[in-house]
Amino acid sequence: MIGMGAMIGAGIFVLTGLAAEIAGPAAILVFALNGVVTAFTGLSYAELAASIPKSGGGYAFVREVFADLPSFVMGWMLWFAYMIAGGLYALGFAPNFLELLHVYDLTPAPDQVGAVALPVVDAAVPAAVGLAFVAVLGLVVLNAISTAASGSVETIFTLIKVSILVVFVAFGATSPMFTSAEFQPLFADGGGPLSILPAMGLTFIAFEGYDLITTVTEEVKNPRENIPKAIFVSLAVTVVVYLAVVSVAVGTLGADGLAAAGEAGIAQAATEFMPTGLPVIRNGGAIIVFGAVFSTLTALNAVVIASSRVAFSMGREDQLLPSFGQLHHRYGTPFVAILASGVVMLGSVALPTQSAGNMSSLFFLLSFIVVNGSVIKLRRERPDMNRPYKMPYYPIPPVLGIVLNLILTGVLVEYLLRTDVLALGLSAGWIALGVVAYAVYTRLGADESASKPTGADETAPQTDD
Amino acid sequence: MTMTLDIIIAGGGRVGFETAALLDTRGHDVTVVESDGDRCDAMADEYVATIIRGDASNPDILRQADVAGSDVIAGLTGLPGLNLAICMEAAELNPEIRTVARITERDQEGYERFVGETVFPEGAGARVAANEIEGSDVRTLADVTGTLDIMEIRVEEGAPAAGKALRDVRFPAGTLVISDDDGERVARPETTLAPGKRYVIAVEPDVADEVMNLLRG
Repeated sequence: MIGMGAMIGAGIFVLTGLAAEIAGPAAILVFALNGVVTAFTGLSYAELAASIPKSGGGYAFVREVFADLPSFVMGWMLWFAYMIAGGLYALGFAPNFLELLHVYDLTPAPDQVGAVALPVVDAAVPAAVGLAFVAVLGLVVLNAISTAASGSVETIFTLIKVSILVVFVAFGATSPMFTSAEFQPLFADGGGPLSILPAMGLTFIAFEGYDLITTVTEEVKNPRENIPKAIFVSLAVTVVVYLAVVSVAVGTLGADGLAAAGEAGIAQAATEFMPTGLPVIRNGGAIIVFGAVFSTLTALNAVVIASSRVAFSMGREDQLLPSFGQLHHRYGTPFVAILASGVVMLGSVALPTQSAGNMSSLFFLLSFIVVNGSVIKLRRERPDMNRPYKMPYYPIPPVLGIVLNLILTGVLVEYLLRTDVLALGLSAGWIALGVVAYAVYTRLGADESASKPTGADETAPQTDD
Repeated sequence: MTMTLDIIIAGGGRVGFETAALLDTRGHDVTVVESDGDRCDAMADEYVATIIRGDASNPDILRQADVAGSDVIAGLTGLPGLNLAICMEAAELNPEIRTVARITERDQEGYERFVGETVFPEGAGARVAANEIEGSDVRTLADVTGTLDIMEIRVEEGAPAAGKALRDVRFPAGTLVISDDDGERVARPETTLAPGKRYVIAVEPDVADEVMNLLRG
């Protein structure tokens, strides 16, 4: 459920508008194809998660298979992907929140508050960025000083989100705007079919939920059946919901309108066709807008937890400073890991939404490639490992997964070269920083362990003589 | 500093499996090597360890269990000779590894030249059985609690809770610090968790790894 929560919730509200901007009405295709591409990676995750009983997601699996440096880079990338995703959700939260206030006439319409995503400096931009900043700060502090909300709350959240989206689709599909919907031309001006590729890259982050599912697998009963089931059910539901919502959104608001609304696309579409004049909530669109605010916030919360958990595991495995792997004595939370993640997230709020989406997607793509690779490596090196779930038609799915993800990575990098060198530079910088940090850290660690006898005294006292 | 241990357990029978489950709740990474297919499936359902199916004395199987990257190997099959062979083979492949072998007789002196530690589950079991048979209404707690674990834990230098007073440390619900250091007094809020000292602590299984993290780092 937690994975579905993250996959369905925020991505759809935040990214639909951006995808429409790049790909036009073909945004529908974008999400469908992404579903197909990630399905292969889903198989890999299912096999790994069922046979390696560790909750830690992709990093834990790769750590099991690869040597120190590759697994460090994997954790480093995944950590970053989650942190940037946090920035993305925060940036998605802000305009939707403004839209919510607008529905109640507390602020002017969001488009007057500024096209938030664009780095065009007008007076209103700081308002949204500030809001995103506050949201991140609030959740980081919350998570740092108290242990996370339980899984059952997460389930309820997910159900709320899905119901809101069902309402959205139901009203949208029956509205007069949809019956006269224009899906032509299918592709954005001058883009042609290829224009969907960068959009696929951009919205890839919507499928990060796999990794989230596998970070919580320890609580699963009968993992042999339930983990693959959880992965495939959430994939199927996610794709269906996405397709329905995107079709309705494109059908009612039109791709151009959606693109113009950016991160608040769905919310804006909703206010167009939802009934108005209702008591209390006044405007049916408010439900959807509320859904968007709610989703982005819960997703933000999920990635705060997820990112700190990656850093925490890395600390446990002695790949980051040990303090990352320690619980705070007073709060009982991985305090250092959460704070460090929070700092990067706060920094990423200053990015344009598109860049945040691009970078996060890029890193998820890269890490998915590594995950597929580790399935192959594990099969070759440990043929006798017990695999409660074996993917069908091995090795076709992981190879396809690698190839398709590589293609998307290539397209995304190429697209970024043309449009968003900043994001690309920051990404490369992050990896370079990681390698340098790793080199320094292992150098220091080697000195320390050389001067200290190996800690042989950690037997439980019962086995002492 | 203590990080998560990578542990190989050869033999997924009752002893091996229970050991693996216990170590898993304490937050370690466990790999079990077991040759019986049905046992492997049963263990996979419990989801506590990575499982390699095969004969642990086969060097290739040991390599697949990642002897080179592990901290401890425990031969816990019912065959002492096999356990000994596994431990010695592992030590040959990775001189750094600590070895623990299960033996089936009380006399353990002969093994000490070859393995780091020996365990004699029948001995521990006999103590429990003798306690039960005696039927005394008051007894010491070793081995007689249900899933609750009562442990003596040495506080590690640099662990999050090291050097902190008990009232300043938030242990997860399901934890009770029982004794002062050296076990002479009952713990009080002002009791300080001094590094290097041992404390008796009752822990429910699902929070064991958090407690270990706070006290051991």
